[in-house]
Amino acid sequence: MRSDPDLAQAAARGNEAAFAELVRRHQGKVRGMARRLAGSDAPGDDIAQVTFLTAWQKISTYAGGTFSSWICAICWREFLQWRRRQKIEIEFDETAQIIPFDRSADQSEMRIDLTRALETLSEAQRVCVVLCAATGLTHQEAADVTGWPLGTVKSHVLRGVALLRTRLENANVA
Amino acid sequence: MREQDAYKDLSDLFRVEDNTLAAEPFTRQVMGRVRQQKLMRRAVVGGLGLIGAGIAAMQLPQLFAEWAGLEKPLADALATAPTELSTAAISQINAAATGNPMWIAIAAGAAFCVFAVSAFERA
Repeated sequence: MRSDPDLAQAAARGNEAAFAELVRRHQGKVRGMARRLAGSDAPGDDIAQVTFLTAWQKISTYAGGTFSSWICAICWREFLQWRRRQKIEIEFDETAQIIPFDRSADQSEMRIDLTRALETLSEAQRVCVVLCAATGLTHQEAADVTGWPLGTVKSHVLRGVALLRTRLENANVA
Repeated sequence: MREQDAYKDLSDLFRVEDNTLAAEPFTRQVMGRVRQQKLMRRAVVGGLGLIGAGIAAMQLPQLFAEWAGLEKPLADALATAPTELSTAAISQINAAATGNPMWIAIAAGAAFCVFAVSAFERA
């Protein structure tokens, strides 16, 4: 099986099949990340699509390292652009409030699951937990992607993971 | 212990969720849009290139006429006042450049092509 950097090199030379393989390999992670950041599936998938289109245009700038981290950085930027268009203004800091998501009646009746437990975290915690626990980035990679200090990321992950476990235990999911 | 090991249980739960997402329809959609963008890029760059080439070709006769007109004043200047050569040539070239919209058209065509390439071509 060809490695991600090999496929990226081939894609940079215009090989669409190689890029399709990269999409196939990473779509789950990127869509999961985008859906969790956006708070719902349809906008999340749109963000993921734009992420891969941007990746195709910029594939020649991929300079090694983990492909996951590179594509997640693009996904993060696309998410920020999407959020800017939504005109939602939230400060990413320690005082960030819990962001309520618009839920339809039938969804609100569903049992609390992993995604919904995630949504009860503050946005900064959710972002850090999504990047590190769900997407698999290291704390350093998450700090690089978001531009936040490493200590801040670590602290949000620590608190977010603890809260998430509590919510899941309460809901008998974990 | 790696930092990710501290929340491996949660990572596994997230991974299970992500693995349920169907890869093929999404991949097909993305690749469809990639091909669409590629076609659009070719059409825009090629179209603007052709327009630019057409404008340039249309202006060629006028360009040669300007050059022919430039020779005589230059020859006169060389014969009569060698010290005034540079001043006269510069003023003639400036007059040709500013007085003839051909240059503006060529520059506009080139700018369009550069814009199209930089906007659509992959970095």
